[in-house]
Amino acid sequence: MTSAGKTSRATSMAPSSSSGLTFKLHPLVMLNISDHFTRVKTQLNPPAASCATGNGSSNADAMLLQNPRVYGCVIGLQSGRTVEIFNSFELLFDPTTDTLDRSFLEKKQELYKKVFPNFYILGWYSTGSEATESDMHIHKALMDINESPIYVLLNPAMNHAQKDLPVTIYESEFHVIDGIPQSIFVHTSYTIETVEAERISVDHVAHLKPSDGGSAATQLAAHLTGIHSAIKMLHSRIKVLYQYLVSMQKGDIPCENSLLRQVSSLLRSLPAAESEQFHENFLMEYNDKLLMSYLAMITNCASNMNEVVDKFNIAYDRNSRRGGRTAFM
Amino acid sequence: MEGSSSAIAKKTWELENNILTVEPPDSASDGIFHYDDAAQAKIQQEKPWASDPNYFKRVQISALALLKMVVHARSGGTIEIMGLMQGKTDGDTIIVMDAFALPVEGTETRVNAQADAYEYMVEYSQTNKLAGRLENVVGWYHSHPGYGCWLSGIDVSTQMLNQQYQEPFLAVVIDPTRTVSAGKVEIGAFRTYPEGHKISDDHVSEYQTIPLNKIEDFGVHCKQYYSLDITYFKSSLDSHLLDLLWNKYWVNTLSSSPLLGNGDYVAGQISDLAEKLEQAESQLSHSKFGSLAPAGFQRRKEDESQLAKITRDSAKITVEQVHGLMSQVIKDILFNSSRQSNKPSSDPSDPEPMITS
Repeated sequence: MTSAGKTSRATSMAPSSSSGLTFKLHPLVMLNISDHFTRVKTQLNPPAASCATGNGSSNADAMLLQNPRVYGCVIGLQSGRTVEIFNSFELLFDPTTDTLDRSFLEKKQELYKKVFPNFYILGWYSTGSEATESDMHIHKALMDINESPIYVLLNPAMNHAQKDLPVTIYESEFHVIDGIPQSIFVHTSYTIETVEAERISVDHVAHLKPSDGGSAATQLAAHLTGIHSAIKMLHSRIKVLYQYLVSMQKGDIPCENSLLRQVSSLLRSLPAAESEQFHENFLMEYNDKLLMSYLAMITNCASNMNEVVDKFNIAYDRNSRRGGRTAFM
Repeated sequence: MEGSSSAIAKKTWELENNILTVEPPDSASDGIFHYDDAAQAKIQQEKPWASDPNYFKRVQISALALLKMVVHARSGGTIEIMGLMQGKTDGDTIIVMDAFALPVEGTETRVNAQADAYEYMVEYSQTNKLAGRLENVVGWYHSHPGYGCWLSGIDVSTQMLNQQYQEPFLAVVIDPTRTVSAGKVEIGAFRTYPEGHKISDDHVSEYQTIPLNKIEDFGVHCKQYYSLDITYFKSSLDSHLLDLLWNKYWVNTLSSSPLLGNGDYVAGQISDLAEKLEQAESQLSHSKFGSLAPAGFQRRKEDESQLAKITRDSAKITVEQVHGLMSQVIKDILFNSSRQSNKPSSDPSDPEPMITS
C-alpha cells in the first residue's frame, strides 16, 4: 500500500536499500524516542522561563532550544533476514568529539543484557528532519558492535498534513559516487510489528478508552468501535485501490504490471481460510461460546431463584418463634 | 461525508458514557515532563504524606511507562516479574514518567530478591541521570499473571516496609493475561495503611474475580491497603505519533485473535468457577437444615452473596469470550464470504449455530 510510495521516494543522499532485510519496528521504540525528545526539550525550555531569554539569543540558538537532537541506541533481535527492533535506550552525545560516549553505552548495554538477555544492539537513533554527514561518523563508530547497524531517524516536527509516520530507517551501503567508494545512508522500508499486549496498551492510551469496568454496554461499545474503525480503514484502502484500477483501465494512468500482479495475488488469497477443518473448528468454537453464555445464564437464573426462595422463606416463615410474623400472610 | 458521520457517532458514544474529553495535549501542556529539582526537594522535606495515610489519591501514568510495564509483564508469561517506576509527586498525585525492569525471578520470597535488585537499581538510576532522566524512583510494579490486581500478603509487607523508608512510594500491579483476554489494560495502583490503621467499614473496594486458591490471601489483607485512581497522559509528540501509527495499526486490530492466545487461561477460569460453585452448593445445602436457628439468617446471606459473586464472575468471563467470538465472526464474514461462489447451497453470512456430530 504505502510501501510502493516509500521505495520510490528517493532523495539525493538516500536511495532505497538493496540489502533485502525486512525490518519490524515496535511502537515502544517510537514512544521511547518521543519521550526522550520531549523530556530534553522541556528541561531546556522550562515552562516558567521568561520570554527575555528568547529575545537575547540568536536564531540558531533558539532553533536548537526548540528542537534539541537526542541520541540513543536501539536493541532487538535479528533472525535470518528479519530484523525486529524491540526497545531502545538513551545515550550521551559528546559535542566536542562528535561521537557517542562509548563507556556509557557499554554500561547501559550491560544493564539491559541482564533484563533482556536475548536482545542485542542493532543500531542507534536520533531526532531531526534528515540524515546528515556527521551522522555517518557515529554510524561508523558503531560498526564494531554490529557490522551493519541501522539508523532510526524520528522527525519531531509535528506536521499535521503528513499522513505517514515521521520515522525513517537507514542502512549504510557502499556506493561508488564520483569514482570514490563511500558509504552513504539508504532508506529501508519497515513494518510495524506488535504483540497483543502492546497493541491493547497503545490502543488504550491512544484513544483513552474507559479504563475501569464500566457497564457491559460501554465495554461492548468500546470493543466494537475499535473494530469498526479498523474496518473503515480497510474499506478506504480498498476504495483507493479500486479507483486506481479503474483509472488504469480507462487509460488515465500507465499500466504497472507489478502492481497488477500484487493486486491479483491479493484477490486470489481470498477467501482467507476455506478448508473443511477451518469451518469445523470455527463452528466448534462458536458452539463452545454459545454453551458458555447458556451456562452463565443458567447460573444467573439459579442465583436469582435462590434469592427469591430465600426472601419467600423469610417473609412467610411459619416455623419462626417470632410473634407477629404470621401477620404477613 | 464519512468523516462527519463517524464524528457524530463518536460524540454520541462519548456523551452516553460521560467521557471527559481530554484536550489533545499541545506543546504547552508538555510541562508535565519538566522535572523541577528544587520543587521536588522541597516536597521531600515537607513530607505532607506523613500526617495523612490517605494523602495520595491519584496516579498519573505516562504512555511510555504503561507500555513498558505491560510489555514486560506479558513477556514474563506465567512468571511474575517486577520492576521499578520513576517519577515525581504533585500535590496528592503521584506521577509516573518511566518504568524499568529488574533482573529478578518472580518467586514467593520476593523480599530477599529486592536486596539483589538494589545494586541494579542504583547503577541504572545513575546512568539515567546522566542521560537526562532526572526523576527518582517513586514506586515498584509487579505482575499477577491471571489472578487479578491486588496485593498479596508478601506484597503488603514489602510495601509497608517501602512506605516506611522510601516515601513517597507506590505499588502497581498488572495482570497481563487478563489484559489480553479482556482487551483492556488490567492495572491497579495501591498504597498500604500503616500498621494498625483501621479503615471505615463502609469503604467498599471494587469487586474483583479472584481464583479460589488465592482468595484467602486476598481476603486477609484486603483491608490493609487502598487503591488509587489511575489516569494516563502523553506528550504532544506521543499523541501525534500514535495518531499516525493508526494508519499502520488497524491491520493488527482487525487481525488480533484474543480467543486463540488465551485458551488455557479461560479453561482455568471456568474450572475455578466450577469449584467455587461446588463450594457454594455444599454451604447452601447446610444452611437448609440450619434455617430453624436465627443464626441461619446470617449464613444464608453470605451464601447468597457468594452465589451472586459467582454469577458476576461467570458473566464477566462470558462477555469477554463473546467479544472475542464477535471479532472472529466479523473476520469470517469479511474475508471468507466469497465462499458463496463455491457453495451455493449454504447461506454464507450466517454460520449454522448448532452442529450435529
